[in-house]
Amino acid sequence: MGRKSNNWLLIAPMYIFTLLFVAGPLIYMLVLSFLQKADVWGVEFVFTLKNYLKIGKQVYLNTFWESIKLAFATTALTLLIGYPFGYFMAKLPEKRKTLFMLLIVIPFWTNALMRMYGWIILFRSNGLIEQGLMALGLIDDSLKMLYNYKAVLAGMVYALLPFMILSVYSSAEKMDWTLVEAAKDLGAKSWQAFVTITLKLTLPGILSGVILVFIPSMGLFFIADILGGGKIMLVGNLIQNQLMSTRDWPFAAALAVILMLFTTLFIWGYKKITHSDELEGLL
Amino acid sequence: MKKRVLALMLAFMLAIPMLSSCGSKQEELNIYTWEDYVPDSVVEAFEKETGIKVNYTNFQTNEEMLSVLSNAKGGDYDIILASDYIINIAIQEGLVGKLDKSQIPNFENIDPLYQGFFYDEANEYTVPYAPGIPLLVYDPAKVDVEITGYESLWDPSLEDSVALMDTERVVMGMALKILGKSFNTENLEDIQAAGDLLMKLAPNVRVLSNDQTQDYLLSGDVSAAFLFTSQVVLALQGNPNLEVVYPKEGLGFGCDAMFVPVNAPNASNAHKFLNYILQGEVGAEISTQVWYLCANKAAYEYLPADFQDSLIISADSVPEGEFIQNIGTAATELHNEIYTEFKANLD
Repeated sequence: MGRKSNNWLLIAPMYIFTLLFVAGPLIYMLVLSFLQKADVWGVEFVFTLKNYLKIGKQVYLNTFWESIKLAFATTALTLLIGYPFGYFMAKLPEKRKTLFMLLIVIPFWTNALMRMYGWIILFRSNGLIEQGLMALGLIDDSLKMLYNYKAVLAGMVYALLPFMILSVYSSAEKMDWTLVEAAKDLGAKSWQAFVTITLKLTLPGILSGVILVFIPSMGLFFIADILGGGKIMLVGNLIQNQLMSTRDWPFAAALAVILMLFTTLFIWGYKKITHSDELEGLL
Repeated sequence: MKKRVLALMLAFMLAIPMLSSCGSKQEELNIYTWEDYVPDSVVEAFEKETGIKVNYTNFQTNEEMLSVLSNAKGGDYDIILASDYIINIAIQEGLVGKLDKSQIPNFENIDPLYQGFFYDEANEYTVPYAPGIPLLVYDPAKVDVEITGYESLWDPSLEDSVALMDTERVVMGMALKILGKSFNTENLEDIQAAGDLLMKLAPNVRVLSNDQTQDYLLSGDVSAAFLFTSQVVLALQGNPNLEVVYPKEGLGFGCDAMFVPVNAPNASNAHKFLNYILQGEVGAEISTQVWYLCANKAAYEYLPADFQDSLIISADSVPEGEFIQNIGTAATELHNEIYTEFKANLD
């Protein structure tokens, strides 16, 4: 009996934490999204659906659409680069694995903002890369590599790639390779074995990588700001803009709620497809 | 063993506040503003002279400051340095205390040119700190057209080579001025017309940024930019060959000022601080480090000659400048829609 009550005490902080810091803000945001912006500052406690109706305006729907397009492009590119990377990493000898893991994780632990500024130093007009190319006589004029859509896409892929690699790696690592051998013994060609066995068994890793990349890429507004020169408006930027310049908190909350519904939909889809409760990966 | 460590840690945690509370009470002053906006040298000299310990806390944006101040019910901080329009809201919300001028003899050092603004018409709440006028700056080596005003930025020869501040009211303000309207018009048709004009600027915009925008000009990423006063000065220091233009369509104006929150815990120290920075020499020290106009008459004689030269913005233009003020909800929402659409058209 005594043991049981002790357990309860140990678990209590987790529940209190969850209620206070997860459920609390969510409820606050949900309530806020149905309130009205006050004329000058703050909110009025008047129920309205206006904030959600406003999202239906062409210009804001367009922002969602642009964000989704960028998120899809980012996810597709990280999958293209990350899948082979994670797959082959899982096949490396143990020592090499540790080395590669370090090479992926160390930059990942460095502040993302710092790394983005590093990119600027490299890629800006008259930056290191252009100076090098000019010295070699390959270019005469600035390439204008930064402050456009491509730069934002590259930054997103760079920042989120580790999520994909590590997800794919962790499911490829757990895979039973004897199944592939068995398939080959039974006459399957390499690619047939890959498609029927490997791809299916690493599917949870792929899908969790897709989720871990897709969802943040909808909201990483600082990458859009820094590498896009403030020219790319994503849902994340739009929310920030509501808080910072328009001072329309309820609209910001409504945008965040819709963004969250998207996220939930994605995770629900993941569970449906993989019949699994947890995301694959080191997280 | 573990228990003992835990007990020690707890004892230590309990002891810290006790230690700090014994002994004579340390006088304090809590300043809340952007990073590095009040020079360290000034803060240190004030601490040395008065024995008051200064706690300097940063915010990133005016809006962040106001939500913090509003949650603190106008308390926690003693001196806040922020922008004109947000001070206007803070005063309306009852978060700002009236200054006790008997405690600030140096209040009379303030140049009347920088007083009586919309947010504090009777000069009861604020001390002006950094007034400025945003200007156009361009690199004549890279620009073929003559730049005379905002309108020049629309010239097709400037394709993909203009930097602007990432602030919707400022960017929209250029278009409004071209059409001969006020920054603060609430006429939705005028705002829409300015928005239509703004969309045509899209192909020329290379960067939108509020921080260190002059760097894009200096690095050669852009050849023309619309910059805040301090950025104009820094741009000229980096490249003296840059040209500065007073836009012919009309000037903007802004002023960051200090105020004492209504429930400031150390209001009397706050007044001491205001009086301290309004001394001539200290005022000059501040101006030479923050690169805005100097609002302190007594400081003019202490301003070094090279500062006067580099500060190409003449105070004579101040009365012409128009503030960007808060406008009604419908107008604000239209501005936001237009700016969102503008960004979608970029790139």
